[in-house]
Amino acid sequence: MVSVDSAASGTQTNEGSSVTSRYNELVRVADEEFKYWLNPLQPRIDVANDTSSLANGSDRIEQILKQAVAESGATIGIGHVHGYGIQSVHPTVSITWPNGTRILYGPVTPERCSDLIQEAQDGPNSHLQDLVIGQISGESGEIASIRDHPFFSCEPDERRLLANLGITDPDSLNHAIATGSYKATARIIGRRMPEGRVRDSLIAAGLTGRGGASFPTGVKWNFLAGAQGNDHYVVCNADEGDPGAWVNRVVMEGEPHSLIEGMLIAGLATGSRTGFIYLRDEYPLAIDRMERAIQNAINNQLLGKNILGSDLEFNLRVIRGAGAYVCGEETGLLSSIQDSRGMPRVKPPFPAQVGVFNLPSNVNNVETYATVPMILRHTSDWYKELGTESMSGTRVFSFSGDIAQVGFMELPFGTPLAKILDSCGGIHTPNGEHGKLYAIQSGGPLGSLLPSHSIDQLILENASFAPWDAIMGAGGIVFIGEGTHILVLNELFSEFVEEESCGRCTTCHGGNQRQTEIVRRIISGRGRRDDAPNLKLVDDLLQHSNCVHGQFSPKTMRNTLQHFRTDYEDAIAGYDPTLTLSGMYELEIVDQTDPLLNEAATICPKGQFEGEAGAWSINMSGCVRCGACIDIAPNAIQKKALARSPRVIPIA
Amino acid sequence: MPLETESTLRIRSIIKDFKPNNGDLLAALYAVQHEMGYLSKEALAVIADQFKMFTAEVYGMASFYEEYRFDPPAKTTIRWCSGPACRTRNSAGIRDAILATLDLNETGEQTEDGQCSVVVGQCNGTCELAPMIWVEEHKTYELPVGKLTAAKSIKLARGLRSGSGIGEILNG
Ligand SMILES: Cc1cc2nc3c(=O)[nH]c(=O)nc-3n(C[C@H](O)[C@H](O)[C@H](O)COP(=O)(O)O)c2cc1C
Ligand code: SF4
Ligand code: SF4
Ligand code: FES
Repeated sequence: MVSVDSAASGTQTNEGSSVTSRYNELVRVADEEFKYWLNPLQPRIDVANDTSSLANGSDRIEQILKQAVAESGATIGIGHVHGYGIQSVHPTVSITWPNGTRILYGPVTPERCSDLIQEAQDGPNSHLQDLVIGQISGESGEIASIRDHPFFSCEPDERRLLANLGITDPDSLNHAIATGSYKATARIIGRRMPEGRVRDSLIAAGLTGRGGASFPTGVKWNFLAGAQGNDHYVVCNADEGDPGAWVNRVVMEGEPHSLIEGMLIAGLATGSRTGFIYLRDEYPLAIDRMERAIQNAINNQLLGKNILGSDLEFNLRVIRGAGAYVCGEETGLLSSIQDSRGMPRVKPPFPAQVGVFNLPSNVNNVETYATVPMILRHTSDWYKELGTESMSGTRVFSFSGDIAQVGFMELPFGTPLAKILDSCGGIHTPNGEHGKLYAIQSGGPLGSLLPSHSIDQLILENASFAPWDAIMGAGGIVFIGEGTHILVLNELFSEFVEEESCGRCTTCHGGNQRQTEIVRRIISGRGRRDDAPNLKLVDDLLQHSNCVHGQFSPKTMRNTLQHFRTDYEDAIAGYDPTLTLSGMYELEIVDQTDPLLNEAATICPKGQFEGEAGAWSINMSGCVRCGACIDIAPNAIQKKALARSPRVIPIA
Repeated sequence: MPLETESTLRIRSIIKDFKPNNGDLLAALYAVQHEMGYLSKEALAVIADQFKMFTAEVYGMASFYEEYRFDPPAKTTIRWCSGPACRTRNSAGIRDAILATLDLNETGEQTEDGQCSVVVGQCNGTCELAPMIWVEEHKTYELPVGKLTAAKSIKLARGLRSGSGIGEILNG
């Protein structure tokens, strides 16, 4: 068994110095390449190539740029980086000039590509002023630094985990090494640092798990290090199933080597020679990028046998998931790796006792591992400079919903949520108008629905969510504006937790079916006065489920009954001011002279329009409330609330 | 052992490097589905053989996961994002509009002529495009289509149903 613990102290040995010189050689080569990346001999345009950028058409932009450069014979390089964080301005590109100035532009359209090439040739701020987002590096004076962009106003002056995002090419090992990757590894192996010291540093830094439960990472690693036998495994939970959370994706697509190094260090610190990254199928690009990064690391003796020329070994593999949320639960994940259904089992035994292939294992989230190298590169005290007393450091959060700017930020724990909503540009309606906050969704389907007035009391820290019977969760936060009824979200999450129940516990799969049925019935306009007590019964029942999936699945519904009681009671009475619950409104033609009505009649997928031009009527009996006719003729067709008694007296 | 058909041999060659009890089954199922389009009975039996399991065990395992199919996919699959950012922008209406256009009762079904199917998709963090769907043709393309409305999604579904290419529909 390999172990770094065999040497008593942290002094250099002969083997240690060869490790150090091997690492120094890697750094020398990497620095040489990276120097020309930061100060290229000719201007270079870097196209962002993360999942969001590609979904917004960055591949097309790249094609056009390449073709235009080839045709014009311009001496301009084309490269790749990860997007910087504001996804609403994707696709973005950055231009880097020989003097090291780098500016970010977006959203880039095919029509602006020729301007981009001109800008690259003529220098900053000549042709694209309207697309400038900010300056990433260099001193050109006129253009504001990206760090001063309002979207990033809650981020620390310098990013930590995402320090190189938008600057390095994520597929380049040299870029990673030149910016500090594997430095901590070289130090640990080169100096034969006792493995216990690594774990102690994490405990001192206060690093807690990023997968939701916030368990102290160093303590968890101690369990594995102390476990029986010589065969241990480290496992990375990259299942990131919470809709609205994509922070692990950003780390894997933008900084793959930070995850690899974090897992390698975990292997060294817990006596494990094998690691698995269980990565969700919905992230094909992240799978690709991680596999490429692993191969690059192997080719350079950073993974595999004889790491950096030492006698240490660590092998890493990506396991592609297949679309089961519950495989994010750690025992479900372990079972999924072992050729089985990903069903959570009873704990104990915990993974550190019985894990992959029934051998002791450690499961951590992507970001947990990825944070380890920088703590060891700097110090535990440095890490603790940001964050709060109970949660130190920073983490990546993703923000979506009815906001002006969707994207991700790396934020210190403790950041006030109200400030974050401001930096996202506030609530925006689908028409781009300013709106009002209605609800905040955190923690995914097993998480919470918070009322708008909670925002002034919420900071990014678990303890601040607790008084609302809420959890902060694993990084995804959705802001919801006043146009949507809370039950629309309850329906989504009820369906989700029902669909994703593994089926082991009757309480969980049966209880969640019942919950979904009740929610759907209320939405269809047939709510009953005993629905609230019945939902409470379902909630109580679900507490007798084996795993957190079952136990937490009624949380969003419970939050609705706690924090949105009036809206809930109104819906029971058939009254929905947002007109988004399908059973509580009808369609009414308010202007027969609108010529768009004819098109509305033909768009209707159910053929519900009767009559003819000038005398249309809509037969509501087969209407599925899809809204397409209103999309076409918004001035002629309106939703009209069904007449009901205003409000019942609550019984529960 | 009975004579092996051509497709059996093909499946065998796809999975020849995968081993039992090595964390390989998910990857084997993925590889076969990727190459063959779906997991046929024959494929499950060949995989079971390789993994020294019963076919029923392999099917039991595979059917737990959303992504494995046991029937050939439709020519075009519409993957509808079920996530929260999309839901606040009428994604439920978009789903129902697409289903109605294709005469389908629920997600998971495909049209009788095999042209189109609708499946439930999960948010992958491109919520700036909400509400969105992905239009996919197996091994050919996978295209996110965002900032949809119900009306636009009906036009798209009608186009796909009548056999038009996705490029034609989006540009025309
Ligand atoms: C239903 C369910 C789904 C989960 N999904 C994830 C996930 O996608 N990613 C994750 O890191 N943790 C997830 N968890 C939490 C894990 O069980 C586990 O606590 C975590 O991976 C531990 O890593 P950490 O200590 O680094 O946070 C989930 C838990 C449950 C109950
Ligand atoms: S609580 Fe639900 S998800 Fe968890 S083991 Fe039971 S049935 Fe499975
Ligand atoms: S809402 Fe949809 S189904 Fe109903 S009338 Fe309008 S287009 Fe037809
Ligand atoms: S919710 Fe649909 S893309 Fe995120």
